[in-house]
Amino acid sequence: MTAAAPIEPALRSNEDDLLLAVRNLQKHFPIREGALQKVVGHVRAVDGVSFDLRRGETLGLVGESGCGKTTLGRCISGLTDPTGGGVYFGLEGDQRGRLDALLAVPEDQHTESTRADLAALEKSHRVDLMSGDPWRRYRRNCQVVFQESFASLNPRHLVKDIVGRPLRVHKEASGSALTERVVELLEQVGLGRQHLYRYPHQFSGGQRQRISIARALALDPELVVLDEPTSALDVSVQAQILNLLHELQQELGLTYLFITHDLSVVRHMADDIVVMYVGKVAEAGRTATIFERPEHPYTEALLASSPDLDRETSVLEPLEGSIPDPARPPEGCRFHTRCPVATPACGWEIDDIVRRLEDVEGTFDTLDGVTRESPFDAWLSFKDEAAAANLAEALRSDAIPASMQSAVEELTVDGARVRVRFAEVAEVPLTVRGADHAAACLLDRT
Amino acid sequence: MVDVPAGPLPTRVADSALRVRARRGGELLLALLKNPTTVAGLVFIVLLLGMAVFAPLITEPNTPDAYQMPRDWGALAVPPGSPGHPLGTTNVGGDVLYGLVWGARTSLRLSVIVVSLTVFIGVTVGSIAGFKGGKVDEILMRIVDVFLSIPELIFALAIAAVLGPSFRNIILALAVVFWVKYARIMRAQIIHVKENEYVDAARVIGDSSWRIYFKDILPNSITPVVVQATLDMGNIVLVGATLSFIGLSEAGIAEWGVLVSEGQSGISAGRWWASTFPGMMVFLWALGFNLFGDGLRDVLDPKTETSR
Amino acid sequence: MSLVGGIEPKAAPQARAAIASVRDLRVHFRSKVGVVHAVDGVSFDIGDGETLGLVGETGCGKSVTARSFLDLVPRPPGIKAGGAIMFRPHQACAACDGAGCAVCFDSGRAPESCHSCGGDGCERCGHTGQHTVDLMSISGSEMQSIRGNRIAMIFQDPGKALNPAMQIRDQVAEVFFQHRTADLLDDAGLFADGSEPGGSLLRRKAGLRTRRAEDVILSLPPFRSRRGRLMKAVETRIADALAETQIPNPRKVMDRYPHELSGGMRQRVMIAQALACDPDLLIADEPTTALDVTVQARILQLIRELQQRHKTSVLYISHDLSLVREVCDRVAVMYAGRIVEAAPTTSIFSDPHHPYTQGLLAAVPAASHERGRLVAIAGNVPELIDPPDACRFTGRCPFETSACLANEPQPAAVNGAHEVACFIHHPLPGADDAPSFDRRVR
Repeated sequence: MTAAAPIEPALRSNEDDLLLAVRNLQKHFPIREGALQKVVGHVRAVDGVSFDLRRGETLGLVGESGCGKTTLGRCISGLTDPTGGGVYFGLEGDQRGRLDALLAVPEDQHTESTRADLAALEKSHRVDLMSGDPWRRYRRNCQVVFQESFASLNPRHLVKDIVGRPLRVHKEASGSALTERVVELLEQVGLGRQHLYRYPHQFSGGQRQRISIARALALDPELVVLDEPTSALDVSVQAQILNLLHELQQELGLTYLFITHDLSVVRHMADDIVVMYVGKVAEAGRTATIFERPEHPYTEALLASSPDLDRETSVLEPLEGSIPDPARPPEGCRFHTRCPVATPACGWEIDDIVRRLEDVEGTFDTLDGVTRESPFDAWLSFKDEAAAANLAEALRSDAIPASMQSAVEELTVDGARVRVRFAEVAEVPLTVRGADHAAACLLDRT
Repeated sequence: MVDVPAGPLPTRVADSALRVRARRGGELLLALLKNPTTVAGLVFIVLLLGMAVFAPLITEPNTPDAYQMPRDWGALAVPPGSPGHPLGTTNVGGDVLYGLVWGARTSLRLSVIVVSLTVFIGVTVGSIAGFKGGKVDEILMRIVDVFLSIPELIFALAIAAVLGPSFRNIILALAVVFWVKYARIMRAQIIHVKENEYVDAARVIGDSSWRIYFKDILPNSITPVVVQATLDMGNIVLVGATLSFIGLSEAGIAEWGVLVSEGQSGISAGRWWASTFPGMMVFLWALGFNLFGDGLRDVLDPKTETSR
Repeated sequence: MSLVGGIEPKAAPQARAAIASVRDLRVHFRSKVGVVHAVDGVSFDIGDGETLGLVGETGCGKSVTARSFLDLVPRPPGIKAGGAIMFRPHQACAACDGAGCAVCFDSGRAPESCHSCGGDGCERCGHTGQHTVDLMSISGSEMQSIRGNRIAMIFQDPGKALNPAMQIRDQVAEVFFQHRTADLLDDAGLFADGSEPGGSLLRRKAGLRTRRAEDVILSLPPFRSRRGRLMKAVETRIADALAETQIPNPRKVMDRYPHELSGGMRQRVMIAQALACDPDLLIADEPTTALDVTVQARILQLIRELQQRHKTSVLYISHDLSLVREVCDRVAVMYAGRIVEAAPTTSIFSDPHHPYTQGLLAAVPAASHERGRLVAIAGNVPELIDPPDACRFTGRCPFETSACLANEPQPAAVNGAHEVACFIHHPLPGADDAPSFDRRVR
């Protein structure tokens, strides 16, 4: 899929710094219903994400459930193929620039040669289109450490087999040479020769995570994707593992993609941070910037809600509402349904009315149906005129946020039906806020 | 849940994979032997298998076909304890002891062949369905559903009847009927095991789907299949005997069901031995495998595995 | 002082006897490798109206301690190895009949007088004059009348704690039917003495003791309207309980099943169910661990609000120190089955005394920590099988000496309300090798 406009990646690296580039990544999961498994909708887990991954640094990917960070991690590590956009590995020199230029060309304006150029670049660098040597090179250089659980190590395999398997698969060593290499790896993560012939269940959580790390390092990769590596561990064990990860990064020159929901861990470990919300990037930038001068209201709320030993909690009101369903993401800015500083242009839509009706006792029962012209324009029919009048009344009052009120362009009552039309707004793009800082918010807080 | 702390780490340093695996096998065996009913089942199985294996030593094999009951025209329907026939004879002079012992062989053949066939077919079909998912899964599972909606015995009966009475056809009928169970078990297991992160880890390493199947998915899915196979070793013989009893096998062969059938006419006349002994054998065979299979299931239960 | 959503933390607990006193609690587990001493001599008090945090890592015994309050520890493999949990249940305040007044500090609940001495003070009530029961030794039926009624518990994973096959209405109704039978009949205008036709049947229905056949009878015309009134009474109470936890549109939510609600909503339902009967003590076992951070903040605020309104005492179990700081008045730190330190929240964080507490606080990544230099506590949690008579933190403590290996420290006060179990603060008399913060050994 090619984009129709220049992509502004959330984070940019220098040409020689680039390890991996994510461009317009989309992953939609079909929702099937019925005996014939008809597709009735899509869960838009990742819905247009672009950023660069800098070599040698740690990028923290944070967000709550439903934000898409795990799915994004799986696309980057090649476990799932994206449904749109791509993950590009191994771009050198000016290749990234050329790729970005080609991706910015709309579909109908491509010439034979630009199409061919793009195809060539994609064949050798796009993870889901690679094969042969480029694929092998990518596979060796991108490894994963999963969240600790009994399920991350095969319970029937010995440690020697678990850690030695990558070496066997890529035919790097065998026999006693393999055993020695495994011992080396174990010692690197703080275990030893005595652990070779043991089963995973004989180890503690922290030790199992060390085994996972040893396995990930077996092929000497450039990039390690860490998916919540310490979330299931106790605080004191977590400290050990975080120290180990840092040490290994220094020694081996590793690049980390650190996926977590724990803000204190990410602040400690990451150089850059990408904050995700319902499938899109809300904000991205250097760690210190994000924590000291967050631009996006969601980032602010996230920071305020996380208990922190250093900080006196601010008096910020905890957020209302719950995380929207990724199958039906809100229009405009996806955060507008919970945002304390939303403006009329932030994407108010018919669904917001429907959601509010659900919360008010009695009104939803009288709603007969909703006929939508667009997400912003619909006729709501009620069982009787009184209910319709009620709604119209409510829409003009303080029952709804002021910004939502201002966004209403047309409000007509016709018997038992009400027509509501909001101003139509587009998705909020990422805007640059400074060097290495971007946020997807209409407000400029400076 | 209440977190009962894990046991201590072993202090011995094992120096080879073989020794560690052997020790784990030994632990399994010990756990099995702790349960008295499992031991009882094991004893029955060993005795019956012993009988089957040593058949030629216990009784002189018949010629030309050892599996045909010998006829001793001079000793028709003699009771147990008669000279040369410790357990008596049938009304056509077949030695009951011979029937028991060679019948054990027949049962062994039957159960091993049928269970091997059904496990192979069932595991293959179930694996494809579980692994591929989607339409393939749907189609295969609907076929399985159709099979499962027909009662096993009736189904086997119908097939055997259609194919014609013979021992081979009984094997076929049983194989056709009993594979679906394994398909279902395997599919459910695979769907569950597929979700584990160690499968993803194997993919990230770059391992091929085949190897992931054989190294990661199959070994972790196979436990319920093993248990079911053990139980089926007993039940197949039971069903087979039933089919033989109602006449779907060949007459005159050394097979317990056939013997029971042939001997039943004599019961009202007081000649109980020709039916009772073979009947008891069927019972013991099924019982033995069922007891052992249950014990195996308890020992192999993942809950007790991780607490080792 | 830390604030959650602008709510001031509670002042010191009221001058009443502690609502619960745990004395030398011991709970052991039989396992293949021996007897595990999961909880091995734990003592603490929960003040009336106080929120006490019980903090520790995996395997320290905090969950087992909490579950012992309501006899929820499976036996076998669990063994009640000793100790007592003295609980002082309250009853509706006589002065205001549960409505709230100055006498009962607006909670509507007042302590019951001791059954043995009538309030004078005796052995049985520990000289408090209040009715006291030992939760470790009461009968099954007594425990059943306490569970959900005087002591309620909320769990970590609301998805697993709610019955997926029951509507929300039925789940919350259970609590009312079990413990508020008389009140329900009252609300419905049905006489509790059974002088109504079908009265005894209705009474049994309100007490969830009807059989299928009796339910059928109740659906027949003569009884149907009365049963309807009973149901309406229950539903009103359920709606009120749900509304109190700020669940929007409670009547709608009542019809739903747990899987139709979000994690935060499910947790609110569980809290509503727990607080339905206005319990004296609420035990919260990691109630926000399974929730997203923004939802968690909301739930914490809710618990705080409800606790202040109902003056409920709370035992808050968590592994997350920073969370505990937001919610609790006092904190007790557990390690390897024992309490190592207990103090008011501010003191624990500003002035931790025990090396384990210090290590725990230092291990949490903070802005001040340099990467790769998090202070990790060396070693692993010890196996608790036949633990030796020594401080359990040996092998990991940066300051240990031989004195620590030979004796077990007991919790003792350091200053006022701050207790610690460590030889650095309470050196053994006569021991020549006393540990100190000045001598690091690792």
